[in-house]
Amino acid sequence: MSAEKTRSPRSPAGGDAERNADRLSNAGATPDPWEECARLDYGGDRSFAWSVREQVLATPPEGRAQVEARLLKALAVPACTDAGRAFLCQMLALVGSVKSLPVLAPLLRDPKSTEAARYALQPIPGPEVSAALREALGALTGNAKAGLIGTIAWRRDTTARAVLAAIRENPAEPAIVREAANRALDHLTVA
Amino acid sequence: MKTPFPLSRRRFLRQSGFAAAATAAPLILPSRLRGQNAPSKKITVGIVGAGNIAGSHFGKLLGEPESVRILGVCDVDQRRRDEGAARVNATYGSQDCRAYADFRELNRQEGIDTVFVCTPDHWHALVAIDAMRHGKDVYIEKPMTLTIEEGRAVVAAARKYHRVAQHGTQHRSMKRFHDVAEFIRNDGLGKLERIECFIPPNNRHCGATWRPEPVPPGLDWDLWLGPAPWRPYSSLGCHYNFRFISDIAYGQVTNWGAHYLDIGQWALDMDASGPVEVEGRGEFPSSGLFTNATKVDFTVRYANGIPMHCRTRYEGGGTSRFVGERGWLDISRGRMSASDNRLLREMEAPNKKIQLPLSKDHHDNFFDCVRTRARPIADVELGHRTTTVCNLGQIAMVLGRKLRWDPAKEEFVGDEVANRLRGRAMRSPWALI
Repeated sequence: MSAEKTRSPRSPAGGDAERNADRLSNAGATPDPWEECARLDYGGDRSFAWSVREQVLATPPEGRAQVEARLLKALAVPACTDAGRAFLCQMLALVGSVKSLPVLAPLLRDPKSTEAARYALQPIPGPEVSAALREALGALTGNAKAGLIGTIAWRRDTTARAVLAAIRENPAEPAIVREAANRALDHLTVA
Repeated sequence: MKTPFPLSRRRFLRQSGFAAAATAAPLILPSRLRGQNAPSKKITVGIVGAGNIAGSHFGKLLGEPESVRILGVCDVDQRRRDEGAARVNATYGSQDCRAYADFRELNRQEGIDTVFVCTPDHWHALVAIDAMRHGKDVYIEKPMTLTIEEGRAVVAAARKYHRVAQHGTQHRSMKRFHDVAEFIRNDGLGKLERIECFIPPNNRHCGATWRPEPVPPGLDWDLWLGPAPWRPYSSLGCHYNFRFISDIAYGQVTNWGAHYLDIGQWALDMDASGPVEVEGRGEFPSSGLFTNATKVDFTVRYANGIPMHCRTRYEGGGTSRFVGERGWLDISRGRMSASDNRLLREMEAPNKKIQLPLSKDHHDNFFDCVRTRARPIADVELGHRTTTVCNLGQIAMVLGRKLRWDPAKEEFVGDEVANRLRGRAMRSPWALI
């Protein structure tokens, strides 16, 4: 029997020297990916976000509420970057529920974060989400409002017809917003 | 219904400062003003997206000046649109072709009959739908759309606006692929056992990090991104390389899968349907700008039990192999082979019981249909179905689990996360409506 076959799994091939080198490493502890992904930068290493993404995608239905809570907690980190917020909201778009609404609704009304929040909210079913989207119409302007109108129409929210018609007829609204309202009404008519 | 039409051609021109250019009306009248059914009439074309893939259209379209006239070239990159328009005008010896910075302006030109959508994938649906809404017939490069939801929206728009809409899967107009699909339909291989598709490798080398760069002069980066989530410009992630970034495209899964899986769909008579199950194992980069799978491996299975397996081949390019009880047939653009040459001879024999429509040229077929208003050989319904198969593979690889698919409802059975991956919200002001 060769020495290779008798070596214990606890005894790496390099012996004591290699084990000591590992013990003396100054690399520090591994950061928590759920915290690190909130500090994601465009162009930076996204491997922590990748770890989170893998966990989100692999979580069975019974564990999604817990995953959603962890994503929302990360979203509340004060140092959350634009890239981090966008990533977290992309994850919430996959597993989010109405439980995300208290966090996402204020973000939706803020022009700085509305894109990320709308990305998360669009696929989340529920009348509460539809109501939050309609309410945000009064807080947004220009392109952001046009995009929000598109999301409302995409969700087939027929209760929004009256407010969309008012927007379409409002000469004070910019052309891009009135055009979006016009298309939305056409879309909802077909629905 | 009252329509404000705030982006009417006239208003758009005024806002964009193009009014002077617009007064120089092109000498070519759109075919619809002179009778669509007249085969001698020139069909006018606008090309949206003047990069890599548009090059394959310029040659063909410019080679038929008696029947086709390019009147507009649009690109968010000024150099590309100017070079494209200059090439057209140099060929025609005129100044009729204009360069456009915004597809919405081109789509609103009354003198243009058809629009070729040659943009990166994430723009296909929006450009095509807008064009059809404004009365244009469309030729949409493959993959037809980025997401499954976009594909269904394109089909709905084509039907709503009564437009001819061709998917740019030109294998449908190559006799070799036609003959193979027809042979399989006629049980030429006996009982079909499986289909094996190979696609070229995906992402090129890309480091774990990347550096945002200043946007080059002449490039409208905001419009290039369009409906995709915002990110800063990087030359590594713009022209051509967009294909490796999942915000923009799904790599060779949809780029070449649209061709080779399409022939499987055709041979299986699945042009209005699709598989019922999919599973996959992809290898994805955990960091870096490129996010699509470096190694693709997925299998869809149809209701009749036949699997279609798609995977990366690092050398040798794309191919489809049909395996049945009488042997196998292997087909690619460049060659065809079989386990027995007798199969190839049988395949070429005429008068088969089931005969598939034959198109000799994908562009000609499109223009013929523009004149006759018939459905083209690669109508967007089947384009959507094939692109969906690619998307199913992509989603299965992302999730790493077996998924059941209902091709009638176009939804996954019992998997909410998978269903949410059928589409995505678009960045303002864009929307899939």
